[in-house]
Amino acid sequence: MEGHPYGYNIPISEKTKSVPWEEKVRVIEEVKSDFRYEEFLFGCLNCGVCTASCPSNRFFDYSPREIVQRFLEEDIEVLYDMMHEYIWACSQCFTCWIRCPFVNNPGGLVIIMREVAVRNAFEATKDLLKPYGRVLLKVMTTGNQLSADMLQPDFFPDWGPKMLDNMENVRAKRMAIPFDVGKSVKTAWEVSLETAIEMYHIWRETGIFEMLEKLDPNLYNVIMDIVEENEERWEELMEEEEEE
Amino acid sequence: MGHGKSPYLRYADPAPFPILNKHSHYDHLFEEMHELEEKGEILVYKITEENRPVEVYTRTGRIKTVPTAKLWHHKSCGQCGNIPGYPASIFWFMNKFGFDYLNEPHQTSCTAWNYHGSGTSNPVALAAVWLRNMHQAWKTGYYPLIHCGTSFGSYKETREQLIFNKELRDAVKPILKKLGRLTEDGRIVIPQEVVHYSEWVHAVRHEIADLYEKEGKPKGIDVSNVRVAIHNACHTWKMMADDYPYDPEVYGGQRPAASTAVVKNLGAQVVDYSTWYDCCGFGFRHILTEREFTRSFALQRKLKVIAEEIQADLIVTHDTGCTTTFEKNQWIGKAHGMYNPVAVMSDVMFSALACGAHPFKIVQLYWNCSNYEPLLEKMGITNWKELRKEWEDTVKHIAELEKEGKYDELMEFFKEYDLYEPYSKTHDGFKRNRSATADMPLFKS
Repeated sequence: MEGHPYGYNIPISEKTKSVPWEEKVRVIEEVKSDFRYEEFLFGCLNCGVCTASCPSNRFFDYSPREIVQRFLEEDIEVLYDMMHEYIWACSQCFTCWIRCPFVNNPGGLVIIMREVAVRNAFEATKDLLKPYGRVLLKVMTTGNQLSADMLQPDFFPDWGPKMLDNMENVRAKRMAIPFDVGKSVKTAWEVSLETAIEMYHIWRETGIFEMLEKLDPNLYNVIMDIVEENEERWEELMEEEEEE
Repeated sequence: MGHGKSPYLRYADPAPFPILNKHSHYDHLFEEMHELEEKGEILVYKITEENRPVEVYTRTGRIKTVPTAKLWHHKSCGQCGNIPGYPASIFWFMNKFGFDYLNEPHQTSCTAWNYHGSGTSNPVALAAVWLRNMHQAWKTGYYPLIHCGTSFGSYKETREQLIFNKELRDAVKPILKKLGRLTEDGRIVIPQEVVHYSEWVHAVRHEIADLYEKEGKPKGIDVSNVRVAIHNACHTWKMMADDYPYDPEVYGGQRPAASTAVVKNLGAQVVDYSTWYDCCGFGFRHILTEREFTRSFALQRKLKVIAEEIQADLIVTHDTGCTTTFEKNQWIGKAHGMYNPVAVMSDVMFSALACGAHPFKIVQLYWNCSNYEPLLEKMGITNWKELRKEWEDTVKHIAELEKEGKYDELMEFFKEYDLYEPYSKTHDGFKRNRSATADMPLFKS
């Protein structure tokens, strides 16, 4: 029988099998070298409380107990395999964390695994995050993750007919929001240019742009066009102010 | 009662309710935070009398100080983008109470929704974003109030990581230095408490109840028959679980108190249901790209259970994602014979309605996809159709003026519109040509 004798019932993919052992060890060591790893993993009774209360477990083949157990057993093959699709089922609600008698944080382990998966630009990660591009574009360029112009009814027919009414005259509706700096369609609130410039600096210094370039070169190019345009505009403004 | 050396760590004596976890890692956090402050490595941005502090308990019995005035509004992108009545209701209450506050454009979101959804960030970037925003708040002299539950959870976690990891502090400091976001003597700014807006609502719940008596009831509003299901947001109480209010009057201190307490104070009926602890199904990435999961979970584990067990009129939330998940994922239930219509809104929006706020101009229910109309009727807001017409006429008027290019008239209109009630104050000196995202001719400055 394929799968793991202790409960991980997903057959190890052919792709994982074909990856050299040393590469799999390297990736898992990258996860374990994160400073948070030791703060998120302690012991495990195998009580299953985490999995019993996990929302993703109800609809996906996903179990936080498996995450913890595989790390404790240093099951490189399964952990590497999990990093391609399995981990993306987690809802990041941290119910597992609050309920674990050992204060393990399986959701926290998952976020480290996701970060490493993105950094290594796994193909499955690229595919999974493709539909997420609009959010990435928005957050990387404006510092806002959501805006009114992202909620077009065509994208969300399952949200019902009220969405159509909601989005009618959306510019005017946004203007009529009765607090300042909220009157924007393209962002959740009006973000000052100097704030955006500071944020771009943070992305550069912390390797986020580099990470994006590996993940989605096309999206990266679109983002960098906006970033550079804003940076030029800022420089011009500074020059104008100096002249004044 | 003091506890150890840190002035930021105090416990109630005797304990206000049975404490299941008496050995919180928060003890070490606040002791270490104080030590770093004494060593001159960090500046702790303190809550002062000017912030009109109110004390609440956490689940370990720690006394948490919640500032209620002179606040810097760290807005939520999900709320402002998708549920604008959420922040508008917060500002409305602040004005009603006469509290000083600052709502300015020099802030980014926490960027943690993106991180939890896509993994495309890292702890150094998250810490830099948080500390930049906190430095901005400190510079203005207003204390940060975090509107979003995920920002609140993420910031609590980031604070802990920064306090306990010198490597992280060493990595983030040079970045902040380049940005001019350290103090003059090179310290990072860390607030004494990370405070969520629902904690603010909890802290001022008695004032809210007084306002309901004075202004809501005379308008014919009555919430005593409203049956309410409470949904607590995972990132407020499950993430860094030892730092959120618990109260002896809410389930004997054994469940999160915020939202439940204010609804009880207003006199509405809080009704318990079996899946109260479950998440909503938002899932960060899932609500956008795995929607069948989000709607299945929301429908089967929450909306169906709430309808069958307690027939609630309203689900009260206190975060962005949960509100969106519950109000947007009802209609689709018709496809599976699982349509259980119920109104959905946050604690502050429901409180504002109870206190007489305009359902559309302030609470902005036009954006809400849930079946909120029966709730308005039940609350005694029977003129909601007229109020909606008033709102629609306003929107139409704005749209027509803009279409005709009558910008001066629009500016005049907004001057009057905003003077009708001064909803917010804006940091001075911000000009539209300094906007990263300007797309409107109407931005006031």
